[in-house]
Amino acid sequence: MTTTEGKKATYKKRYEEGDDGLRFQDLTYTGNFVGLEPVTDGIKGDKMLKARAKSGVLEKVSKDDVLNGQFSIDELNDLNNYLAWNIWDVLVMRATEGVSGMIPRQEYEILAFMHEFYRWPEILRMTTNEVGPQGVMDIGASARREIGTKVNSVHDWCIGAVGFGMGRCGLLALEAIGPDDYVAESNEILKFMQRVLWGKRQDGYILNSQDRYRCRIHEEDFLEQLTAQVETLEPGSPKHGAFTQFNAATELLAFLHHYDNRLGLGDTGPYELPDGNLLILRDLFVNEEIYHWSDVSEDAKLPHAYTLAMIIDPEKMGLEEIRVNDISTTFTRPKNYIEAIIGGAVFAREKWDTPMGEVYPIKIDELGDHLGRVQQATLKLYTKTSKMCRRDLIWNGQYVYYIDMILPHLRKAGTYEKACRDYDLWEIDQRVSNYYYDITKRGFAQETVPSKIFSGAGYLPFSENADLRSSKGRWL
Amino acid sequence: MAEVLAEGYNVFDTAKSPSGTVKYLSAPADVIALIQSGKLSEHILLVQGGTTTFLAPALSMGALGVITMSGAPESHLGILSREFQTPCVMTAYLTSSESRYVVGATDPSHFDEIAKALDGRKVRLDCTDNEVGRVVADD
Repeated sequence: MTTTEGKKATYKKRYEEGDDGLRFQDLTYTGNFVGLEPVTDGIKGDKMLKARAKSGVLEKVSKDDVLNGQFSIDELNDLNNYLAWNIWDVLVMRATEGVSGMIPRQEYEILAFMHEFYRWPEILRMTTNEVGPQGVMDIGASARREIGTKVNSVHDWCIGAVGFGMGRCGLLALEAIGPDDYVAESNEILKFMQRVLWGKRQDGYILNSQDRYRCRIHEEDFLEQLTAQVETLEPGSPKHGAFTQFNAATELLAFLHHYDNRLGLGDTGPYELPDGNLLILRDLFVNEEIYHWSDVSEDAKLPHAYTLAMIIDPEKMGLEEIRVNDISTTFTRPKNYIEAIIGGAVFAREKWDTPMGEVYPIKIDELGDHLGRVQQATLKLYTKTSKMCRRDLIWNGQYVYYIDMILPHLRKAGTYEKACRDYDLWEIDQRVSNYYYDITKRGFAQETVPSKIFSGAGYLPFSENADLRSSKGRWL
Repeated sequence: MAEVLAEGYNVFDTAKSPSGTVKYLSAPADVIALIQSGKLSEHILLVQGGTTTFLAPALSMGALGVITMSGAPESHLGILSREFQTPCVMTAYLTSSESRYVVGATDPSHFDEIAKALDGRKVRLDCTDNEVGRVVADD
C-alpha cells in the first residue's frame, strides 16, 4: 500500500485561473526584487513575475511582436528577471547535489555559460540572416510534428536562460563585463530564443512555466498516430516492468551521454486524452554523433533517440499537480507516477534527420534486446569516462553545453557546417580558455557562481542608461 | 520500533523497503568492482554526491537502494532513482549527530562521519513518508 491510496485527483484545479498551484519547495526567491515580497516557486511565482513586469513581454505576444527585430530595455530586463526566477524554480534544489565524483560539472558549466555568451551572438545572427526571422520561428514549429527532435523545451530554453542569463551572470561575477555591456548581443540571443519558442508553442507564450507548466505542442492528428501504438500495461506485470525499466535505463544513458545534464531528455505534455488519462511523451537521446564518445552507442547499434509514450492514470495516483518544466523534466505530486503508468509505447529514430515517416515503433515484448544494448553502452561509456583526465572531462562537458544547446537549431537552419567552417564553432575563445585557470580559484565555480545563479543575485539588470546598440565599450 | 540511524529527503513515496548491508562507494573504481563482484543485490549503496553519473552502471544493473550525503529529489540521481523505482534517501544526516550538509560549506569530516557510521551496517530504507526518508537499523 502506498501513501496515495484513496486520494482523489485534484490536478485540474491547477488550471483554474484563480489557482496558485502547490508549493514544491519551501524556499523563496528574491533576485532583483529586493524589499518586495519573496517570490515562490510554481504557478504563483509565475503570476508574481508577470505582475512585476514593466512591459508586456511576459504575457501572450503576437507574431508581429516576435518578428520585431529587437527588445526594448524594459523587455530585456523583464526577460532577465523572469529567466532568473525560472532558473531558480527548476534548479535551486539541484544546487544541493554536491560533487559528481565522476564529471566536474560545475567547472564545465561555468566555462560553457561564458563561452556561449561571447560566441553565440554572431552565430545566431548569421543563422537568422540565413533563414530570416520567420525561418527561425519555423524551426520551432517543426517540433510540432516530430518526436526525437532536440528542438525541445530544454534546448530552446537554454538559448536564453543559459547562454544569456547564466552566461552574463557568470561574466558579471568574474567582473569581466559590466551590466551595460553587450546589450546588442544579449538582444540577439534572446530574440532567437523567443522566436524558436513562440513558433513551437503557437499560443503566444514562450515558456512552459507561463502556461502552468504545460508543454502541449503537438498537433492532435499527430498525437493520434502515436497513441494508436500504445499497449496496455498492468501495474506490477512483467510488461509494465519491462517498459519502466527500459525508460529508466535509457534515461540514465541519455544523462551520461550528455555529461550529466538534461540535454539528453525531452518531455512534452501533459496531453489529456479522451478517457481522462494523461500522456507524456519522452525523448531520450542516446547517440549523438557529434561526440567522439558516441562510439559506444554506435558499437551497441543504438538509434539517435528513443521516444516513450507514457499513459498515466491521474486517479490511480491521486494526482495533485503535474509540471513539465522548462528543462523538459516531469515532476508530480505525489512524486511517484511510475506506478500509475497504465499504457506505453516506444519509438526509435535512427538519426537526427531521419524523416518522421521512418520513425518506427518497438513492441514492449521486444524491448529486452534494446535494454541489453543500452546497458552495454552505459557500462562501456562509464568505464571510458572514468579513465578520462579532469581537463578532458571539463572541455568535453563544455562542448556538450556550448555546441549541443544550439546544435538542433543550426542543423534545422542548415547553418551548422557554416558555423564550423566560417565561425570556428568548435574552437575555444581565448578569453574562455584563460578562464579555465580562474574558475577554481576562491571557489568561483563551486561556490560563487552557483550562489549568484541560484539566488538570483547575479542577474543584474540593464540600467536606464543602457544603449540597445552597445557592445563592450571599454576594458578598464 | 527499530532505531532510525539517518534521515534525509525521500525521493519518492513507495512501499518498497529494501534491506541490505551499506556499501560506501568513494570512486568509480569501487562502482565497477561492485558490479564485477556480482554482489550488487546484497547492498544499500552510500555515496557522497547526488548526481547520476557516478552510480550509472549500478543503477542500470538493479541497485536495491541508495543513500546520498547531498542532493535532492530534483537532482539527476533523484530523478533516476524514481524512474528505476530504487528507494533513495538524499542528503542523509545521522540522527545521532548535529552535523548537517550545507551547500558549498560542508567540511569533509561531515561525509567521513556518515560513511564511518553507516558503512557495513545492515539497514532497511523506509520511504513511505512523502518528504522524509529514513535509514533504519536492521541488524
